[in-house]
Amino acid sequence: MPSFFNTWLPYIYLYGVGGFFFLIGMILVRKTGGLNIKKKRHRYWRNVMIFGFFYFMLLHAILIIAALYW
Amino acid sequence: MIVYFIAIMLFGSYFSKYNRSTNDFFFGGRRFKWWLIAFSIVATGVGSHSFIKYSAMGFEHGISSTMAYINDWFFIPFFMFGWLPIIIYTRIRSIPEYFEKRFSPSARFVVTLFLLLYMVGYVGIGFLTMGKAILPMLPESFSIFGFTIHITLMGLISVIAIITGIYITFGGQTAVIFTDLAQGIILLFAGFLVFILGLDYLGGFHTFWNILPTEWKLPLANYNSPTDFNFVGIFWQDAIAGSIGFLFMNMGLIMRFMATKSVDEGRKAAAFNIIFMLPLSAIVVSNAGWIGKAISIINPDIVSPGTAPDQIFVVVSNIISQPGVFGFIMAALTAALMSTVDTLINATAAVYINDVHRPIKKLLKKFSSSEKIEDKKELSAARVASVFFTLMGVLAVIPFNTFPTIYEAHGYFHATLTPPLVIAIFLGVFWKRFTPAGVITTFLGGSALMIIGAKYPGILIAPFDHGIFMDPVHPYTYISALYNLVVCLGVALLVTYTSFFQRKIVEKIRNTSNHKNIMRGLVALSALLLATIIFEFAPLPLLIVFNIILIITIALTSTYFIKYDETKNTEGLTAWSISKAKEMFKGRKINDREGQVIKVHWKMKNETLDVINFSRKDMEKMSANAGDLVYLCDARRYLGGLKSIHSSYGKPHNQDGIVYINEEHLKTGLFKQDKLLTAEKEM
Repeated sequence: MPSFFNTWLPYIYLYGVGGFFFLIGMILVRKTGGLNIKKKRHRYWRNVMIFGFFYFMLLHAILIIAALYW
Repeated sequence: MIVYFIAIMLFGSYFSKYNRSTNDFFFGGRRFKWWLIAFSIVATGVGSHSFIKYSAMGFEHGISSTMAYINDWFFIPFFMFGWLPIIIYTRIRSIPEYFEKRFSPSARFVVTLFLLLYMVGYVGIGFLTMGKAILPMLPESFSIFGFTIHITLMGLISVIAIITGIYITFGGQTAVIFTDLAQGIILLFAGFLVFILGLDYLGGFHTFWNILPTEWKLPLANYNSPTDFNFVGIFWQDAIAGSIGFLFMNMGLIMRFMATKSVDEGRKAAAFNIIFMLPLSAIVVSNAGWIGKAISIINPDIVSPGTAPDQIFVVVSNIISQPGVFGFIMAALTAALMSTVDTLINATAAVYINDVHRPIKKLLKKFSSSEKIEDKKELSAARVASVFFTLMGVLAVIPFNTFPTIYEAHGYFHATLTPPLVIAIFLGVFWKRFTPAGVITTFLGGSALMIIGAKYPGILIAPFDHGIFMDPVHPYTYISALYNLVVCLGVALLVTYTSFFQRKIVEKIRNTSNHKNIMRGLVALSALLLATIIFEFAPLPLLIVFNIILIITIALTSTYFIKYDETKNTEGLTAWSISKAKEMFKGRKINDREGQVIKVHWKMKNETLDVINFSRKDMEKMSANAGDLVYLCDARRYLGGLKSIHSSYGKPHNQDGIVYINEEHLKTGLFKQDKLLTAEKEM
């Protein structure tokens, strides 16, 4: 079985540090007014952006689990 | 392959009829639908080096070779709701132009220099990769009309460059977009074909999967080892610096987004590309390496485990496919090269026209009396520039060829030129306080610190290494990106936060009688210090002291020489004032009411004014007022917006379902008489 350094540590680092940048981005675009959730289209894009983040997070998790147990 | 080259050349040249101005040549007239741009981005993203490079990584390290393709989402909010609307609404034609508007002409000059170097380097890497991939498949020499011609790497690259140059020179951005659309589809098909043929060769997916060791199937590399492929290094080099570089400063990509019909279409293209196309592309570019590894485990006589990684794509394709299919796969590889290189050459020419040609003409006050004549001259200059930068790209191959691998040459260039550009763009867009002194010092002072870091990695980069072992031959190939980003960011923050003190010092100097001489002296001192650092004329402690003095002198001289008004220079140019940028784009207040998309027939009118006229009823359906912006497009969806125009609503008439356009609109849109058009209000 591969070590933690091979499996979940890179995953945690990727979505921990990457997630920090993503969160800062979401907050910043809201604060600047670039993303205005009063607009229907912008609400759609906010949801797409959040979906994208979890989509990649899930994709990597599935690939790690498949490598380890399948 | 020869047939393929000719077909592509003719295909690209066909679209020259859509170039009526430099705007069309570089940006395709800002008319295309998201799907066309999304597919054409695939071909650019999956560059020629990708097939070679990622197959090599796949062969050596397994499925974690896909890492770099599945880590680009983190900066998407900054891009979609920060940079993208700004580049479209400010109508900038290049990144350096943004820097002039946001900071000063001198900031534009520095950025132009860095950007041109970066792009010409990329063109060179593209040519080198293709030359190295094709050369082993060709005979050493051939005879024609009794003459024996020896095939050399540089000779081959020159031929590729000529062919690439021809169609881009005559076709422009529209040609690039359409050839890339075709090439993107060919690339995806060829990549999956290799995968399917490879799996078939191995006896199915289960056999393939079960052969591979567990470590080899993991999607992310080991946290901090080995030195040549570790997760944390690649995270900082690729997911952070690379992603920002890819989305924010890749002029080729930026120009694609500028070619979309609206900001929303640009967002769709970006989201679709990252969510769907990049993961698929990861499989396309890497799988030859995975298949090669699996074959080497089953039968090392067919694919030796010691095969040179850079050769694995060609080796595997040759083994698993028939000769005709192999030719097709190699043509797809060629497509990848041309897609990357054509985009870069077009983008480099755009930077040249906007940031060198026009400013020089402005300085010399040598503009033609007519705008049309001027535009024609610029279009010719753009074509000459395309040829020139193609040639420069070929010449850039010479120094790159001295690096042991393409990957190192690529990495060296990326790590050196990306961080200051990334920090400058990012802070420029999201931080109103960021000053011209800050941006210029980031480039010069930050780069000087990067140079010192590269010379003393064991001391300066080691604190950032996350436990990665330092290879003395190629120290900290990836994690050096973190050091470079930190020093550039540090310089930017330091200089901007101390701008009050800089202004005070400069004020004091201004009050002296010989202030001009003092400043000229500081400029000379800066140049001297920079040269000392570049050529390492002093030991490390002194170099660091010199670098600190350099940062101070550049900050002071920039503050002294540059006239900067924070309110004026940030209005509509940062993420904090996008609505203002939108208003400036339109030239009047925004009409945000949601309207319908309608279908109309067109008729000609004898008027030169750039407005088009709909009936009152149709305008009501679109929720439009006279003066609002409108997008008129051929209703055939598969054209992806190729036949379309942007204009403004003129005075309404009473004929429902009819739009009146003038001759100029018809020439730009190339509408057909009997074909329906769709019309929608832009803003």
